[in-house]
Amino acid sequence: MTLKHLLVAGTMLAGLALAAPALTAPAFADDVTKGPHGETATPGESIQLSPEQIEKVKAGKFTAGLAWHTTSNWSNAVDQGAKDEFAKLGIEVVATTDAGFDAAKQKNDIETILAKKPSVIISLPVDPETAPEVYKPALDAGAKLVFIDNTPKGFEYGKDYVTISTADLVQMGAKAGEALGTALGGKGTVGYIYHDADFYVTNQRDQSFKKTIETKFPDMKIVAEQGLADPTRAEEIAQAFVTKNPGLDAIYVTWAEPAEFVLAALRNAGNTHTKIVTLDLSEPLALDMVKGGNVVAISADEAYSIGTTAANAAALGLIGEKVPPFLAAGAIAITKDNVKEGWNASLHRDPPASLGVN
Amino acid sequence: MSSKPLSLKGLDPAQYVVYVGFLLIFAAFAVVLRDDGFLTANNLVNIVQQTAPITIMAIGMVFVLTSGEIDLSIGSVVAIAALVAAVVMRTMPWPVGVAAGLGAGALIGLVNGALVAYVRLPSFLVTLASMGLLAGVGRWLTNLQSVPVTNDVYTAIFGAGALFGIPSLILWTVIGVAVGHFVYRETPFGAHVLATGDNPRAARAAGINVDRLRLGVLVLSSMTAALAGLLYAGRLHGARYTLGETDLLTVIAAVIVGGTRLNGGTGTVVGALIGSLMMGMLNNGLILMGLSVAEQMMVRGLIILAAVALTLREARR
Repeated sequence: MTLKHLLVAGTMLAGLALAAPALTAPAFADDVTKGPHGETATPGESIQLSPEQIEKVKAGKFTAGLAWHTTSNWSNAVDQGAKDEFAKLGIEVVATTDAGFDAAKQKNDIETILAKKPSVIISLPVDPETAPEVYKPALDAGAKLVFIDNTPKGFEYGKDYVTISTADLVQMGAKAGEALGTALGGKGTVGYIYHDADFYVTNQRDQSFKKTIETKFPDMKIVAEQGLADPTRAEEIAQAFVTKNPGLDAIYVTWAEPAEFVLAALRNAGNTHTKIVTLDLSEPLALDMVKGGNVVAISADEAYSIGTTAANAAALGLIGEKVPPFLAAGAIAITKDNVKEGWNASLHRDPPASLGVN
Repeated sequence: MSSKPLSLKGLDPAQYVVYVGFLLIFAAFAVVLRDDGFLTANNLVNIVQQTAPITIMAIGMVFVLTSGEIDLSIGSVVAIAALVAAVVMRTMPWPVGVAAGLGAGALIGLVNGALVAYVRLPSFLVTLASMGLLAGVGRWLTNLQSVPVTNDVYTAIFGAGALFGIPSLILWTVIGVAVGHFVYRETPFGAHVLATGDNPRAARAAGINVDRLRLGVLVLSSMTAALAGLLYAGRLHGARYTLGETDLLTVIAAVIVGGTRLNGGTGTVVGALIGSLMMGMLNNGLILMGLSVAEQMMVRGLIILAAVALTLREARR
């Protein structure tokens, strides 16, 4: 996910983030990823079609439109997952759009797609608040809707949309925490750079990381915390952390883009001791990781399977089957040792050649 | 500024190339997409509706570019005007919201214009700065939150309503272009804008108040952007700080493709309308062709390049 993808979640209802972690918290396993309306997550891979259902879908000669919020590495993987799965199901993708994070453009996109009369539209809403007007023409035209990550405000599960397909945010944070704990041998000091905004995507990921460190690794301690709104400021924050805590063992960064700035700060300071752990794949960070640099782990969601899950759910919705309201794809911690497998699990393709692991 | 004489009322090739290009693209889509819904009345109406805010802003931009200035802040003004109107309408009647939104646009235009005309700063830099400043204000104003607009009268007038069966966004387009065209072609203000863009010193010598004129075009441009913001808010039933963020380059492309010179002295409001419709038609047609997003961007870029090349080649003497 890119920064902008994360910002998409910006207007989600407040208060969905997990309760502030406490050392006395009960077992970590109690925490699960919650949807934008508090839905409990169902594993995405559990959404499968029986051979009879597949035949029924194929006989329906359905068509689909894909209306993305933007195009990025991440959205491309989701897009490819959906397209591959639709191809298997005999559903023709008739249009693909990119709203460039502009809600007005997304409304245009939906209107345009509807000229092709798709049976179903898979879409990530740019802005839940104004999204009802964006998707209303689709409902009026009788198209089924499957959403990624969040839904238009006021839309009802089962009536207005089939389901939400998304990443398992808590798992992503937890895997980052576990990978760092393993890399540091279970002890050391950590600087924590979290996303300082009311965005349920980053909030759940950040807090899950923190809770993992605090509950699973008693000999690890978060000695510095700083919120971040502008990724480019991560460089200054990292410098401040290391200045105040010489010998700092690791820094957690809320997503890849600011982590690249943290890496720059450490490199400029000639610091090879402080490790970095972050979320979402990035080639520069992975390159540092395979070269044995500061980056020790990158936690990523299985973006491709968010797409396949959405396509399967769409197919089930089209033949009138009920799908659970909130489907979460798994997460994977990528380290030096599993770059190739990790890249494939997340984006369904091999890592860039520069990493030299193919 | 060029030294071209002020004889542009006749037919300038640059000003009809856009019509030919428009018809060619339309014909191509009509053939290729004959079974894909392109020619349905609904789809064609959609294109005009979707381009309404771009067209409105393009009208203001024609005046600014013709006068030899530029306004980079319009995208940010869109968001500010929409947010101001939406916030005001939470507690006040909708006409107050409209006035507040347009007023915000006028105020921004006045500040931009005063800095350009009286402090003598280049409009490129002034509006570049205000673009950034206003983008920050838009984010700060509502703390990144969207503001819903629930007034049905407002959303009908500025969004999804219709009068005698004609969608309101199409009416806004028609009225905007008619007024813009009239002012540009038939009033002293329009003539002075052309004269100033063509040769500011000569215009000043001829007794035109060039400073006030520069202020005027920047206020006009800012207010068309504010109106565009009101249209977006009506269409989406709400406002958000990202509205208009990506519109600046689309507006400039529409205006230039339409036959207005980037350096001033020549322009056309009707051409800008055609340019704007061409942009909307390209977006629409390339999506209906089922191209991937990357393919859409590449093809759109190439077509715009071809259109601009044609227009500018004709315009250069």
